[in-house]
Amino acid sequence: MTPMSPGSPAETDHPETDALFAAFIRRLAQDASTLRAIDLGEVDAILDPVSSRAILLPETREALRQGVVVPTNQMLATLPAEEYQRLLAAGLEPVTLAFGDLLHEPGELIQHLYFPSAGLLVSLLTTLQDHRALEVGLVGCEGMVGLPVAQGIDTSSVRAVVQGPGQALRMESSRFRNALEISPVLQRTFHHYTYALIAQITQTAVCNRFHQVEARLARWLLLASDRLQSNPLRFTHEALADLLGVRRVGITVAASTLQQQKLIQYSRGNIKILDREGLKASTCECYQKIKDIFDHV
Amino acid sequence: MHRQRTVKPADPTAIAAVRMMRLYVVGGAPNSVQALANLERICQQHLQGPYQLEIVDVLEQPLRALADGVIVTPSLIKQSPLPVTQVVGNLSDPGQVLLALGLPGNSP
Repeated sequence: MTPMSPGSPAETDHPETDALFAAFIRRLAQDASTLRAIDLGEVDAILDPVSSRAILLPETREALRQGVVVPTNQMLATLPAEEYQRLLAAGLEPVTLAFGDLLHEPGELIQHLYFPSAGLLVSLLTTLQDHRALEVGLVGCEGMVGLPVAQGIDTSSVRAVVQGPGQALRMESSRFRNALEISPVLQRTFHHYTYALIAQITQTAVCNRFHQVEARLARWLLLASDRLQSNPLRFTHEALADLLGVRRVGITVAASTLQQQKLIQYSRGNIKILDREGLKASTCECYQKIKDIFDHV
Repeated sequence: MHRQRTVKPADPTAIAAVRMMRLYVVGGAPNSVQALANLERICQQHLQGPYQLEIVDVLEQPLRALADGVIVTPSLIKQSPLPVTQVVGNLSDPGQVLLALGLPGNSP
């Protein structure tokens, strides 16, 4: 074991030693920005130049020992550390979701809000009485499912269904509402996301009405890959047809055209984007408009 | 953990403009994971040109961190274009990161 520098306390679970440890860390970190980061709880370890080793902060040791879930959800990741810790303490919990899991149904109480991690994809569908449904929004690790709760509404107007399985952090609606009431930072984050999601939904409505299937398919694949942060994607023609509100044959023709142009490769439900820039050029303006809005909130 | 990610330039003559960054982390630690997620988001949204991001775990390579003047993790170092700049913390403030990267900030 590499020795620590003189005066550096040993790492133990005793509060007194941890206090000494904190003082030792502050001696090493002398510039204002580093001290500020330590005060905000945004530091994991400190480098000891005498022993030439990295020393974990007590909080980091505890988090690594407990296997604390770290958000890859972008809304949670952009929160200050203390806000995220507050949500964890208020009941944010990890959950694994499978393809087809129904998170919310129209008119039903929203029990939980979901913050997808990278890899999870959730479709927001508007349904009709004849059981037809059309996708109006797509949520991945950039956003969350259950937005009405943040606006003080406890029921969903859409069906939220898992399209790409993965992990999420979820929270009971009542607990989330309490956490939101006392946090201006959290409120601002959700106001920005509300604006972006409404923009996505309205742009999708226009796109579905005016644009060709091929452009709409390209738009959907680009949005899905942005949110999944993966390539290839796994979707059947039938699933895509349902999401885009077109006949299956329409998706088959559009996918074939994109494949002939060497923009995508399609095989047994695996869709691989070969030429992202080319796919952007083949889609309508809607993809870029939606992306720009999410990028700027 | 030591991995490197390069977004290749379309034009080989543009290689001089490649933005090179190094992120010092502790693998799996909360702030380090958040820093990486935040940095990836910022790069995706604001970096138009090619860039190279190297991720270094200080538990495995503490001497590299010390040689780069790193005192705490997470720390992001922009190596090129010059001047070399550094941001510490979990990079939850996009404005601060954009400033260090020498990019115009338009985040809220």
